[in-house]
Amino acid sequence: MQKLHLKVTNYTPEILLDCDNGIISMVGKSYPENTFEFYKPVMEWLEDYFDGNAKEKTIVNMEIIYFNSSSSKLFFDFFDLLEEASSDNKLDINWIYDEENESALEAGEDFQEDFEELTINLVKK
Amino acid sequence: MLDINRLENILEDDGIVFLSYGGFLSQALISGMTEALEKESKINDINMTTSSNILTIFIELSQNMMNYSKVKTSSDDSFDSKGLIVVGYCKDDDSYYVLSRNIISHDDKRTIEPKIEQVIPLNKAELKILYRDLRKSGKGMHDKGAGIGFVEVARRCDSIEYNFSPIDDEKYYYAFKAIIKNKQKD
Repeated sequence: MQKLHLKVTNYTPEILLDCDNGIISMVGKSYPENTFEFYKPVMEWLEDYFDGNAKEKTIVNMEIIYFNSSSSKLFFDFFDLLEEASSDNKLDINWIYDEENESALEAGEDFQEDFEELTINLVKK
Repeated sequence: MLDINRLENILEDDGIVFLSYGGFLSQALISGMTEALEKESKINDINMTTSSNILTIFIELSQNMMNYSKVKTSSDDSFDSKGLIVVGYCKDDDSYYVLSRNIISHDDKRTIEPKIEQVIPLNKAELKILYRDLRKSGKGMHDKGAGIGFVEVARRCDSIEYNFSPIDDEKYYYAFKAIIKNKQKD
């Protein structure tokens, strides 16, 4: 399988899905007009990756400054997919936030509480 | 001839930081306005939590209006898509507000009103529970506006005001205002 790299835009994050090094990373804002359409290739890549193509350990770095409510739902599905994958895969998940941005921290805490089987590290930038 | 100075005075008197009126709201326009608001926040040295809350609410309300008018104009030729969105600052209580106003039908009022009434009496802890419940129940659902939008807005502001004012038997002006207190920098 191949790496997927989506460049940052004004309303979507930079997304790097690197199967060679086991890195999943999203950095930026997320408020696309058609959220599920935009993230469809990302979710498909992830399904494919965890279907026998994953590295021994996968690092997930999420640094989302702010996002709209449909992105919030999408990220919920994203963590849900990770939770399913976590039984067979070693995952190191980081929710990265700016110390001054309490809302980004709260968003990370929400995901922590919703996905108790995952270890989501809240990491100050 | 339009008296632009008069317009400017009105905007300044009311502490209006940003305003868009009329025509279609597009994603490009929303994104441009978001970017301008971000710059404004930096220039005025607004706390990052406050500015992220203003931006999130602005995006939520403007994308709501955009999606609503898209659905409406495709089904109803006579639909008036004119929307108004304002971001302002109130000196008296050091707070920001995001106000949206557009025209909606009687049926849509019946859908929207209970959603707003549901979130208004809830405190932050209750809103968090409702938000997580709704998000979980919407797992895998791809439709817009499954109801977490208003909860998101309510979580990120300090108070909400809203109003439906009838135009005729079928249509209303629907105004929604979220007030965000300025958190001081440490």
